Parts: sequence; structure tokens; C-alpha cells
Amino acid sequence: MEFERGAARALDSALHQGASYADIRYERVREERVEVRNGEVATLSDERSAGYGIRAFCDGAWGFAASDDAGDAGLDGTAARAVAIARASASIAKHRFAEAPSECYVDWFATPVESDPGNVPVGQRVAYLLDVEKHLHAEPTIRVGRAWIDLWHTEKEFYSTTGSKIEQTIVQSGSGIRALAVSDDDAQDRSFPGDIGFYQAGGWEIVEQARLRENASRIGEEAHRLLSAPQAPAGEMDIILGSSQMSLQIHESCGHAAELDRIMGWEANFSGTSFLDPSLVGKLKYGSELVTILIDNTLPRGLATVGYDDEGAKSVKSDVIRDGMLVGFEMSRDTARTIGRPTNACVRAQNWQYVPMIRMCNLVLLPGDRPFEALFEGVRDGLYMESNRSWSIDDHRLNFQFGCQIGFEIKDGKRGRMVKNPTYAGVTPQFWNSCDAIADAASWVAWGTPNCGKGEPMQTGRTAQCASPARFRNVKVGVGYGG
Amino acid sequence: MEAERREQIAKALVERSKADETEVIIATDDRALTRFTHNAIHQNLASANAEARIRVIVSGRTGVASANAGDERALGEGLERALELAGFAPADPLLPELPRPARYAPPAHAFIEATNQASPERQTQIADAIFAAATDGIWAAGYVATTRNGITISNSQSVMASFDSTDAACNAKLTATDSSGYAERFSHDVDEIDGRAIGTIAGDKARRSAHPRAVDPGDWTVILEPAAFGELLAYLTGHFSAQAYDEGSSFFSHNRGLQFAGENVTVVDDFSHPLHRGMPFDYEGTPTKRVALVERGAATGIVTDTTWAAKLGWDNTGHALPAPNAWGPHPRNVVVEAGSKSVEQLIAQTKRGLLISRFWYIRTVDQRKTIVTGMTRDGTFLIEDGELRGGVRNMRFNQSIIEALAGCEFSDTQARTGGYSYSIVVPAAKIERFCFTSLTDF
Repeated sequence: MEFERGAARALDSALHQGASYADIRYERVREERVEVRNGEVATLSDERSAGYGIRAFCDGAWGFAASDDAGDAGLDGTAARAVAIARASASIAKHRFAEAPSECYVDWFATPVESDPGNVPVGQRVAYLLDVEKHLHAEPTIRVGRAWIDLWHTEKEFYSTTGSKIEQTIVQSGSGIRALAVSDDDAQDRSFPGDIGFYQAGGWEIVEQARLRENASRIGEEAHRLLSAPQAPAGEMDIILGSSQMSLQIHESCGHAAELDRIMGWEANFSGTSFLDPSLVGKLKYGSELVTILIDNTLPRGLATVGYDDEGAKSVKSDVIRDGMLVGFEMSRDTARTIGRPTNACVRAQNWQYVPMIRMCNLVLLPGDRPFEALFEGVRDGLYMESNRSWSIDDHRLNFQFGCQIGFEIKDGKRGRMVKNPTYAGVTPQFWNSCDAIADAASWVAWGTPNCGKGEPMQTGRTAQCASPARFRNVKVGVGYGG
Repeated sequence: MEAERREQIAKALVERSKADETEVIIATDDRALTRFTHNAIHQNLASANAEARIRVIVSGRTGVASANAGDERALGEGLERALELAGFAPADPLLPELPRPARYAPPAHAFIEATNQASPERQTQIADAIFAAATDGIWAAGYVATTRNGITISNSQSVMASFDSTDAACNAKLTATDSSGYAERFSHDVDEIDGRAIGTIAGDKARRSAHPRAVDPGDWTVILEPAAFGELLAYLTGHFSAQAYDEGSSFFSHNRGLQFAGENVTVVDDFSHPLHRGMPFDYEGTPTKRVALVERGAATGIVTDTTWAAKLGWDNTGHALPAPNAWGPHPRNVVVEAGSKSVEQLIAQTKRGLLISRFWYIRTVDQRKTIVTGMTRDGTFLIEDGELRGGVRNMRFNQSIIEALAGCEFSDTQARTGGYSYSIVVPAAKIERFCFTSLTDF
């Protein structure tokens, strides 16, 4: 382990300064990106960064300090800074949020990779995207085509004063396309896969699975057709959401709502709180009996899958909603302790520079029992929507309004004509209780979200929401366009 | 890392590069942040980072790499990787040259030693002063932050631009049984962050908005305090980008010169405004010009960078973002000119309306129509017959920003407001018709 000597020095230094516990997380991060815009390579970059963050526990409070200076003076100074910050926190503490952890793990983890992205020459990546992007321009109205690939590689080492030594190699990849069609009075976006591309843990095989080339012409044509498509209806009707929109729906109205730090008010001034409360466990009927949502941080391909989280806790599988009932939360050690549970290892930091905090990680909506097309049966007058365009939810995670890039009318059980600007709105538990069908595993996708914002300073988290399409009854649609 | 050291590193890398053109950005970020909730600190942190960003151009082919600026070996590898990447890019025969040297006029207010020297104890003192206002079952959540940023931009055309700044920020949400209130303050000078005043304002709002009543959604006259108006306006700033203008996603793509608002509406991009952080050049080292984005109600200005100035044949206004940048130039120092009445006068002249402290989770619903949706939050008050009549429950809005600006009036005092992706100087705004579409239970 590359950083073992430096880690030992920093941890010794923190203990010497008066910490009763300390851990250090060293990371070497590499982010490669290629992006083509209108036939030109707009981005061809290889960004690398290395550094470490130290958490020190002192007098019942935490301090965190991070630095890119891995020399002896830098390590000692950063450790001292973390302890001083913990002491400053403790000096005005009226109550304690924390206890020092006692766990010890000596282990390693590596993301399973079928095809090493390093074996795919940069020239091949560029040529692929130039070809893909060209096919987005299916119509003259396409003013902007974009195609991109992201390849991320993180080497992570974690050490603690309880003896933990954990080495991890995390590989994550993603790609996508977007077409913007413009007329004199309108602009319509279409993207694929989903609204932000296809991101999972893994190597080049994830890029290949996105099938950008096979779908580029269709996406360009759909953006063009949306310009002249009729406005989506307004009113109250049954809706079917495609799996990528289900990913967004789970992320905003379940994932964030069930973060225990948010529930405890730790994010109150910015990201907000939650309508949930630990006393509602086993009592709140969050959704219909079809709705079961797990946290599975061991999920193969899950974008948030790791062996251990960023406070050195081992990844596990646990429940948030079981058969419609609220049963659990995303937790850290400190927050889990307040409700008498063990952590379920949902702590992540954006990188070495950031303090670890609770993230939603991999959320899994279990698939239903029928093919996707069967969801349309029994809908007399409804709306099918996919690929998110707009998302907003209140700071208690109740009142939401989401918009999609594309919609299709449903008439007498059949998919009808394309409509533009579809939106829908609801209140979280009422909405999930109106779910009366979920498509089966054949259309279940482990969608990754590479850009979830939370915390101060704002951290970008990589989460996953895995879902099949689903049907909801009597939903308000058309808000924002007169509905 | 001091400016002199940053310039040494940048100069050495530019000189070492074998590319036709080379640009090096050295950016340093030292920050300390204290977060609190329930009147106690739950996150307290500091971080330091120095990053080098290297852009090379070889025969019209561009590559970008970044590395730790304090690591000489990593810097050398970064330069080699940028050169290697450029070899894989197609040539762009129209790629403009990097900017040439210019004179910069950094404002005197940008760097304050007290902020630079702020200790963890200083931040906890500010937090503690906020806690003192959180009494009678009210609890405080928020943050206190101090940052010191340094940036140096050097290129093979002999540009060498350096700028250092400090900043301090604090916000607090005070929560009572069924209500909450919000206050914030941003300044270059940590001595101007008055925790007691912030706590008092937020606590007063929480108390005065207790037992909020339901009102009907629909069109309302609203008075948006700067935090609310700034967040709304942030969703219009991208429309002033030359790239958005050219590609047709901007409202102004087909409406340049349109008189869409009253003559009282003037919006400029001005780095030298005393409330802004004052970086006098963009991320290519071009001096940032003052641009009138909206002048007396008419859409007048679009901002550019080297690439988009060349593509459109316009002046380079100096609004580039760091390479690699696939999203074009962007206004970074937006200022809305103030009006002539105090907020109290605006309230006194309102027959029936709402006073809004803050918005939450604004997102674009329709880009071309500038329709956005979002929620009220942390202190929404009913105004009747020119007086505040207590709190109302929060509501969701769906509103065109352009249409909101068409009928508005501004207060006489500006404040800087911002989130993690924007910083805007705005007065409070009274908007005659603002469309709310649903009501919450809180």
C-alpha cells in the first residue's frame, strides 16, 4: 500500500496532538473525458489529483482536514489542523453527535472490470464519438449534437487508529449522447441513454453496453419531431414512467428522503430535511405493496458499489421500503447509533478533499411481474414519459414536479402519438401509493447518477437507482404549461 | 501557495512545453468551513489544494490535463499527457490563438488579511453568536466559511495574470415548531460577518411566521428578498452566453435587442462591483469587460470568450471558463441595478401580496420560454394593506423569468447572494404577477 508510511505518521501525529481516534483516506483519482460537439472535439482531457483527508475525534467532536501535501511537514500539519478543528467544535458543544468507532478491517476491494479502458486507445475513443455524433444530425433542425465518454479510476487507501487498512480500486465508466433541435419558437432536447447517459461501475464494457451508435439517429429524429409535436395534456390521468425517469423519481423522492443525516437536521439550512422520522419505521405506508426498495452497496455494476465506505465500514445490503412499508434509512455510524442500529455503510466523499457524509449509494426498486408493454393494458387515457428534463422537490421531499423530454399519449391500452413538454406533479407518499404495476426484470436497469449534489461545500456524489418502468394512477400532469 | 510561486511553476511549464501554444492555470483553494445544526457543530473542516491545468495546442489540436501543482513530477507527467492527448484530436483549422498580454485592474477590496488569518475558533465564535439568537425552542442550522483563493494564468503568448482573493460566508436557518426563518451574509472580510445579526434576523422571521396559514395558489404580487431574487435570476444568466445564443437555446437567440422589461431594469456583468470577488480576467487571461446584459429593459449584451468571439466575429468580452469547456462563456459577476424605494416602502405600497425570503430547488421547465419551477422556503409572509400579516405555508411556482422582469420594481439596496455555482448582486424585487401552482402542508 503506497501510502502506508505516510498514513502511520499522520495517525501518530493526530494521537500525539490529543485525538482519541483518527482515520486517514488517501486517494489517487484519474478522470478521463472525451466530448464531441458538432463534429469538433470539445473536450479531450485527463485530470489527475492525489491527496488525503484526516478525520480526528477529540473531546467528543470531529474535525476534518485535507491536503495535497504528502510530505512529513504536510502530514503533521494537516493532522494537527484536524485535531484543532475537533477541539474548536468541542469547545462550544452543548451535546455530542459522535462516538469513536471501534471496528477494524484489513482487506481490499477492486471493481470487477471485463475490459480495461486503458486498452482502448484514445484515438479509438475519439473516432467512435465522432462517428456517433454525426448520426445525431438526422435532420437540419439539429443545431447541436453532443457525444461523450467518461472514464474514472480511483485508488483509495484507508487507515485508522483502530488498525484498519483497506485498499480499494474503483473503476466507473459512462457515456451518452444529446441532440438539440431548434425552430424559430422552440428548442427540444433528447438524450440517450436516459437523460444523463449510462454510468455504472466497470470498464469499457459499460461504454459498449450504452449502444450509442445504434440509437443516435433515432434520438436526433425524435428531437426534430418534438418541435412539431402537440403539447402534452394537462389534467389528472394514469401515467407510465420509463425506467430512467423511475431512477430520478426514486433518487429525489425516496433516496434523499431516507438519508438519516437529513432526517436529523444536519442538512437543514441547505439540502433540507425530510418528512420522514425514525418513529415512522414500520408505521408509514410509503408506497403500495408492490414497492420494495433496497440499499445494495454490493450490487455488481452499481455506480456506488465499493467494498468499504469512506469511514471504513463494510458494504452491506439493507431495506428502505419493504412491501410498501418504511423500514430503514441510509446511515453512517454516528447517525445509525442514534436509532440503535449498525451503519449500513452509506458514507462517501467526492474525493480526498471532502469530508465524508451520507449518500444514497445504490437504491434498488425490485422489479414486478409483467412485461413492460403489459403496463399499457388497462390505461384508457394516460401518458407515458421518459428521460428527465426538469426536476424539483421541496426541502421536506414531499411536493415534487418533474418534467420529461418526451411523452406519448396512451389511448385504450395502446401507446399513441408523441407529445412534447410532458410534466407531472405529486406528493411523495400519495404518489408511491398510487403505483399499481411495475415491469419485470427484463426492463430493469441499474441507472447511475454521476452528479448528485449535497452538502457544504457542495459535493458531487455518484449514486445508482435501479428500476423497471412503472405505472401510477390518477396523477396530476401538465403543470407548468397551464395544468 | 503565493502568487510568486504559482507564477514560477506556470512559467516553467509553459517554457518546457513543445506545443505550438500552451496555457497553464494554477489554482489554489484554502478553505475552512463550520457547519452546525440543533445549536451545535456537527461538521468542521479545512482543506488545501493546489491544482495545475495544462492546455496545449499542436497544429490546431487541443489536449488538456491536470495534476497537483505542488508535485513537480506530476506536473511534468501532466504536460506530457496533454501533448499526447492533442495528438489524438482532429485539427481545428479555425482555432483562434490564445490571448495576448493585457493590463488588468484588480479591485483593492479582493483580499482581506483578517479573512486570510481566520482561525477555527473565529468560526465557532460566529456560530456561537447565532446560537444565542436560537432560544425558546428554536434551533439553528447553517454554516460559516472562509476561503482564500489564488489563481495564475500563463500562456505562450506571454500572458501572466495572477489574482488573490478572500471570502467569508455565513447562512443560518432558524427553525421553530411550525415555521423557519433565514438570513445570510457574504463578504470578502470575515469581520463583516455578524453572527448575532444573522441569528436575530433568521430567528425573528421564524417567530413571525409561526402558525402559517394556507393561501390559494395563483397569480400573486411578490416581493423577493435578494436571496430569492438572486436564485431566480441565476437561471437566466446562461441565456447571455454566446454559445447558447448561437445554438438557439437562449431566449435571446431570437430576441436580441427586444425591449422585454421596463426602463428600470438594467443588468450588467461587472467584476469590479465592490460586492463581487473581483477577478479582473477570465480563465484564458483575457481582461473581463463590463457588459450591459440588459440595458433599460432591452436585451443588449452577450458575453464571449476567445473561441466564440472568433466564431461570431464579435469582441472578446473575457468570460471564458476553464478548459476544457464544452459549454461556452458565461457571465460570472452579474449585478442588477438598484431602484429607489426601500423594502419597507415596497411592502407599504402592496395591497395584497407575499414577501419571500428564499427559494429552493429551482429548475428550468422550458428553456426557451425561461419558465422555471421551485419552492418558497424559510420565511414566506402575507402582505395585506401594506403590512406583514404573518406567515403562509410554502408554495410551488411555475414562472417565466422574462415575464417576471417585465413587471418589476427594485429596492434601493443591493446584496450579494449566491449558491455553489453562482454569485449575484441584486436588490429585492417586487414582481406584479408571479404564478404559484400548488401549496404544501408546511
